[in-house]
Amino acid sequence: MQVFLTQVLNGLQLSMLVYLLAAGLTLIFGLMNILNLAHGAFFTLGAYCGVAVASATGSFWLALLLGPLLPLVLGAVLQSMLLQPLAERGRSTHLDLALLTFGLLFATAGAVEWLFGSAFLAVPTPPALAGHVSLLGISYPVYRLFIIGVGLSVAAGLTFVFDRTLLGATLRAGVDDRAMVTALGVNINALFAAVFGLGAALAGLAGVIAAPLTSVYSQMGITIVVETFVVVVVGGLGNLRGSFYASLIVGMTNAMSQAYLPEVEMFAIYALLIGVMIVRPQGMFRNVERVA
Amino acid sequence: MSEEVTIARTTARDDISPAAQVRRATFVLVGSAVLGALALPWLSTSYATTLAIEIMIAAIFASGINLLVGTTGLVSLGQGMFLGLGGYGIGIGTTVLGLPLWLSVPATLVLVATLAAAIGAVCTRTRGVEFLLITLAFSQMFYGAAIKLRLTNGSDGMSGIPRPDLGLLGLNADSPVVFYYYILLVTMLAVAAVWRIAESPFGSVLAAIRESERRAAAMGYAVSSYKVGAFVVAAVTCAVAGILQSQYTYFINPDSMSWQLSGEGVLMVIIGSTTAVAGPLVGAAVFVLAKQGLSVLTTEYMLFFGIFFMLVVAFFRNGVVEAFKSAFRSKP
Repeated sequence: MQVFLTQVLNGLQLSMLVYLLAAGLTLIFGLMNILNLAHGAFFTLGAYCGVAVASATGSFWLALLLGPLLPLVLGAVLQSMLLQPLAERGRSTHLDLALLTFGLLFATAGAVEWLFGSAFLAVPTPPALAGHVSLLGISYPVYRLFIIGVGLSVAAGLTFVFDRTLLGATLRAGVDDRAMVTALGVNINALFAAVFGLGAALAGLAGVIAAPLTSVYSQMGITIVVETFVVVVVGGLGNLRGSFYASLIVGMTNAMSQAYLPEVEMFAIYALLIGVMIVRPQGMFRNVERVA
Repeated sequence: MSEEVTIARTTARDDISPAAQVRRATFVLVGSAVLGALALPWLSTSYATTLAIEIMIAAIFASGINLLVGTTGLVSLGQGMFLGLGGYGIGIGTTVLGLPLWLSVPATLVLVATLAAAIGAVCTRTRGVEFLLITLAFSQMFYGAAIKLRLTNGSDGMSGIPRPDLGLLGLNADSPVVFYYYILLVTMLAVAAVWRIAESPFGSVLAAIRESERRAAAMGYAVSSYKVGAFVVAAVTCAVAGILQSQYTYFINPDSMSWQLSGEGVLMVIIGSTTAVAGPLVGAAVFVLAKQGLSVLTTEYMLFFGIFFMLVVAFFRNGVVEAFKSAFRSKP
């Protein structure tokens, strides 16, 4: 029972980490139709920024604040300077740009390795979040609970922005009918760049908060981005709420298989994805057909 | 490259019919390529022979991918799984089960075809980026299995994979030159087979699906069966490349199923152009030579692989072959 409870919390923590990536990925896809395979690169960049800031200043909180900034800027620049112009020159947003970001994912991993070396780096857990807390009869690391908290706050924040603000309304309209939004006088390119930057910043944030938990290395983004893909496909590409539930399903599947069926750990979530694909190829939580 | 120049010059002449021009150019091109390939071990160093072996194996892999990406218009990022399954298939067959190679190879290909039919039936329910992602997920699943299973010896991989026994012909396949001719023979057969399939009525339906799946379905073609068929042929072709690759290195490990390797295959197809017959061959040659050149210049392979990939997609989307053709066509 105690093992089970610990695994539930571990699953929740993993879910929230993946959700931070999946939210950005699915928003970018829903709005711009771009499958950003390089999303993991922003995760890596965030983590390395976190390492750099934390080791320079000694403050994890400053790293948490500054880590997502570089991904934010780079994401916005990538969209407005590279992807948007290519899309305007007639490249298929679906495939050509997906392949371009595939190259970017590996280029970033290579560049990071070149700059920081291939050693595994670590960020110490901030003192305020170190240690364990007893919870329902088990002792659980406070830092993992912090990650769960961050994930839930981001989910709540995104839901609020998406459902209750003018920006959210514009975004929903953009997903629905891009041409009409442009006709209503919205600068769609600025919106695209902002959303791309925001998605990248969320991935960077995930990188910073993952850093004290896992080691930081150049290919960390390549590993996690594949799990993120499973989440967004299970949740339905472009569906923010679906991604949240799918994150929970994928995170739990991963944590449970780790504890109870370690021999299938490496491929349990892919089996899950394939199962979903057989039953509902459009994703578990999408009821409206995307017009592609 | 000089063959490409020939084809472009021939097309520029107007005195013979276009079909005859194409036939003649193809004849010259194929003929000189085969002659050059046959003579290579006698003309050059063993280093060039080794590179040529790597190019030919990559070309088979790229031909398989091209049938999906170029002919059918389905971009897969998971073809590495079939390359790996080919290698693991004969690895398990010969070293674990103790079967002879002549039995292991066909058994592997039949198994891969069956597996590909099942995987293809799932994957082809989606299209576009979803297809790309689900093929990726399948390959990650096999990658995970290869690392986890005891049967495949985990991340250490399997060694001692045998080359064919050519003792009956009085030859030894462990010699690089003999192995080169073996690879050359299989490559010519495999590339010709894929080309024939792409040119057959079956291939025409695949092209019709690429152009408009809805229209092909409206004309009464069982679109999903054709897509699964293309998936199976592509998988078997990639498995052939995997078998040769594992025989070349006497070794197979999970890296052969990695995401990066599948991406490299797609890159070769894009470099070579998805429309030309020789595309995968040219793409494989450019890629292997570029990779070799880069590894001499720098140890940061991944950085340059990524940048190279981005440049190719951004500027050479139609491939090197098409770029050359249009360069010559534009001259008066």
